[in-house]
Amino acid sequence: MAPEQSPPGVRIRGLTVAYRTPAGELPAVCGVDLDLAPGTITGVVGESGSGKSTLALSLLNAVQPPGRIAAGSVEIDGLGDVVALGGEGLRRARGRHVGYVFQAAQNSLNPLKTVGKQVLDLGRSHGVADLRGLLADARGLLDRMGLDGARVLDSYQHELSGGMRQRVGIMLALVLNARLVVLDEPTTALDMITQATILRIVREVHAERGLTTLVITHDLGVVAEVADRLAVMYGGRIVEQGPTRQVLAEPRHPYTRGLLRAIPRLVGDIAEARALPGRPPTLADIPADGCVFRERCPLRMDACETGSPPVVTRGSRSAACHAVRDDEGDRPAVAATTGEDQS
Amino acid sequence: MITGTGITKTFRQRGGVLGAREVPALRGVDFTIPKCGAVSFIGESGCGKTTLGRIIAGLETYDAGEIVIDGVAMSSLSHRRRQPYFRRIQLIHQDPYSALNPTRTIHQALAAPLALRARQTGRPRSWTDERARELLGLVGLDPDYVLPRYPHQLSGGMRQRVVIARALTVDPEVLVADEAVSMIDVSLRLGVLALLKDLRERLGVSVLFITHDVATARYIGTDGELYVIYRGQVVERGPVETVISAPVHPYTQALLSAIPVLHGLESPGEQRVVPLEASGEHPDGCLFAPRCPFRTERCENERPTLGPAPGQEGGTPQEHACFHPERRSVVAVPVSGR
Amino acid sequence: MSVPVVPEAGGAAAVRRNFWRGVWRVMRRKPSRMAGAVILVAFAFMGVFGPMLYPDPLPRDTNALYAPPSLRHPFGTDFEGTDVLALVVTGSRYVLLTAVVTAVITVVVGAGVGLFAGFRRGRWDTVLMRLTDMKLTIPGLPLLLVLSTVWKFTSAVEMGLVLGLLGWGGVARAVRSQTLSLRERGFIEAARGLGLSTTHIVGRELLPGMAPYIAMNALVAVTGAVYAQVGLFFLGVLPFEANNWGVMLNLAVFGGGALTTTAALPYLLAPLLAILLLTLGIVLVVDAMDEIFNPRLREE
Ligand SMILES: Nc1ncnc2c1ncn2[C@@H]1O[C@H](COP(=O)(O)OP(=O)(O)OP(=O)(O)O)[C@@H](O)[C@H]1O
Ligand SMILES: Nc1ncnc2c1ncn2[C@@H]1O[C@H](COP(=O)(O)OP(=O)(O)OP(=O)(O)O)[C@@H](O)[C@H]1O
Ligand SMILES: [Mg+2]
Ligand SMILES: [Mg+2]
Repeated sequence: MAPEQSPPGVRIRGLTVAYRTPAGELPAVCGVDLDLAPGTITGVVGESGSGKSTLALSLLNAVQPPGRIAAGSVEIDGLGDVVALGGEGLRRARGRHVGYVFQAAQNSLNPLKTVGKQVLDLGRSHGVADLRGLLADARGLLDRMGLDGARVLDSYQHELSGGMRQRVGIMLALVLNARLVVLDEPTTALDMITQATILRIVREVHAERGLTTLVITHDLGVVAEVADRLAVMYGGRIVEQGPTRQVLAEPRHPYTRGLLRAIPRLVGDIAEARALPGRPPTLADIPADGCVFRERCPLRMDACETGSPPVVTRGSRSAACHAVRDDEGDRPAVAATTGEDQS
Repeated sequence: MITGTGITKTFRQRGGVLGAREVPALRGVDFTIPKCGAVSFIGESGCGKTTLGRIIAGLETYDAGEIVIDGVAMSSLSHRRRQPYFRRIQLIHQDPYSALNPTRTIHQALAAPLALRARQTGRPRSWTDERARELLGLVGLDPDYVLPRYPHQLSGGMRQRVVIARALTVDPEVLVADEAVSMIDVSLRLGVLALLKDLRERLGVSVLFITHDVATARYIGTDGELYVIYRGQVVERGPVETVISAPVHPYTQALLSAIPVLHGLESPGEQRVVPLEASGEHPDGCLFAPRCPFRTERCENERPTLGPAPGQEGGTPQEHACFHPERRSVVAVPVSGR
Repeated sequence: MSVPVVPEAGGAAAVRRNFWRGVWRVMRRKPSRMAGAVILVAFAFMGVFGPMLYPDPLPRDTNALYAPPSLRHPFGTDFEGTDVLALVVTGSRYVLLTAVVTAVITVVVGAGVGLFAGFRRGRWDTVLMRLTDMKLTIPGLPLLLVLSTVWKFTSAVEMGLVLGLLGWGGVARAVRSQTLSLRERGFIEAARGLGLSTTHIVGRELLPGMAPYIAMNALVAVTGAVYAQVGLFFLGVLPFEANNWGVMLNLAVFGGGALTTTAALPYLLAPLLAILLLTLGIVLVVDAMDEIFNPRLREE
């Protein structure tokens, strides 16, 4: 079923997306550089308002007014720079090249139409000739995800549970054979068992169909389960990225460290869990100059007040923090582990 | 102390031509909330956690069973006489935004119940302002900043603290926290959890914690008790640490196995249990049998009841409802050397 | 946590002061709103003080019947030589007073019935809503015509009373459905759990959420009432005893032949202009209601 060619890679460079607000135009995503290597799952983690959904939407040049892509480029293999794309070409690309599972996909199905009808609508709007084949594909995908495909296609949204709707969302993103898939908060509002099921499905479908996948979430556990690479977002910037296991084992940015410590675990000394002080910034109070995290940072120093922290790249990992550079000398272990890349 | 025995609740949904459909939400649940205790209900979506929490807070009726608060059986009291008892049990809603009236400032939100309290206890009106500040301080907020503000001007974590402060205005003995942190920013969650834990220690309130995330339940109190609920029935209960480290019921094991593993820091438990896709129904059998990887014929024809788990010595007993109890280690273990 | 220092809230007074400051901010956001407010204030002023500016009865200038607009008579004169502007101003009191009484009754009865039915649910709800439905099916104008044969509506308050009692049905229904959806919200449940009184819950927790809606309805009811009574007088079903815009229109059309000759045209247009201006003022102000009563939009 999977097409022959290799999965597409994505290169995001200097991406800045701004929203027009009463207080002027404010960047929700600011100078983001991110590569999605072909055939990998990349996870973007960040708190509410950190700009994750905005970043994901710019992947299809689908940021809605009052937002706009103010600068930067998004190169997708086989499509070119989507920021320059427009009109019909762009519409085609959505769905065919890039499958998108929206945040709260549980509630984004049309309540008045059966799932099957919605698949047909999707097919027609993309000019698919073989609609029967499309339905068969849809059923196959649903069956693959452990559902009774025929029954689900005949169901309305309210007849499906949250986990089932999420799987329908994934099916709709894949049914046109998109090879680049964006999942925005695929498991929020689902319970643990359903979440584990969805994550397993994401991993399996990703491998079987040869996809490039971007998973967006606020839950470090979710990326830890599915993603090969991890990017941590804070205040519209990517503050740290690298192979998931390495970042989790040896976080460099103080925010990543703080976030990891703030997750209560099932084993070990529970008293070790520590809350992060302060609160995440909103669009209006993201500092324009200096490090975005400094208000909550335990390592805050003078350099953080002005000048954005430089992105320090070592091997396959990078972090944007003044303190990380200073750390370098007395933490040789960090440098040592960066060489070995996990597969 | 609050005890419940045999709490049963069935919702009747009006639907279609065929008339009412019955949704059994709770099937004879027993529980005990000790003074200053920490009790957690865990289970997947739709298992009846919220319904049980609302019943305990007096916000929902129940069909059968009995709730006893400080030795007084609620069924023996009129609706009016029952109210003061249930007022000691305050519910913290999941959604801190809808739990606060968007048209009223925090000052107004706290002043109303405090004024009532002042009247009941014969305190002067001026006491309310003082008490409002005291309570906000207690939940870790700056009264000067928070009081004149509207809910939308506060972050999720601050709002949830205000909701907790409001619940504290009536000097409750139990706080029922229904998914109290699931809608709050990740970095702020632990702060609210720590507050609940702190209130337990400082004010001696009991916390009834409702969640599907076992790790947060553990944070509220490692000395607490855990109730695992499946489709309206308690399938396992016991001390938090015991249930986590040595679960007996396959459903508990599935629930614990589903918690994401922080690869790199931890490695997955050896005997992770993945539940099956539900197949068939066994009206008289074990409720979990259709999804249980370890089911036998007996499970399909007979329903197990809660009983003591094998191999226990003293302490709070661990109980389970399974014909084939077996301890399995399913929880992720930290990578050695860390 | 870095926390800006905010002066201590001195209880209810401070909240009220902040509210009016917020209202001022909202009104200033769009010039159109200020214009609307100015118009409404002008009309209120006219209704209250206008009649005091003129002698009663109004002087007649028998040399200038149906005089064209001039400096002395900006809208000309009527068939008796009375200044039309003076007629509009003195006539405004009856019209506006009726409108205000109507609006108050519509809103008080409508919101009261809606809140009670929605909050109590059950039997009360059924009975009240049946009543509302019944009321909604009674056609207003024919009933008014019938009523006017037995009742002369000499005072504006009586007129407003009747119009108000005919008009609360829509508000009641809408408020009820809003109440039904709001009462499921967490904060209402929390208030009940805290043991707060029903009066508090309905008056302080539910009502403010519906304030924009109620205020809009009140304003719209004002225009409705103006149209209704002007229409009644224009049709001539009611005996004219007092000076009033509807009477003016009636006399201009049926007495002065304003539709066929130009002489009485200013006499016809002046009250129409007043009605239009009032409607415009209301439309412009209604636009601000949402922002005034929603703290999120107000504080911004
Ligand atoms: N239409 C809009 N107009 C103005 N600001 C917006 C708009 N959409 C988003 N924003 C702002 O942009 C920032 C980033 O929003 P975004 O939705 O990308 O965050 P997110 O990381 O996806 O958060 P969440 O976890 O809540 O989904 C936020 O501060 C948000 O307030
Ligand atoms: N008001 C109601 N009317 C009808 N059915 C209801 C009502 N409230 C709950 N139910 C049903 O009762 C069952 C238990 O619901 P409950 O909300 O207690 O579950 P929960 O464990 O809190 O789930 P979640 O984790 O999703 O919050 C569900 O099947 C639900 O559909
Ligand atoms: Mg988002
Ligand atoms: Mg619930």
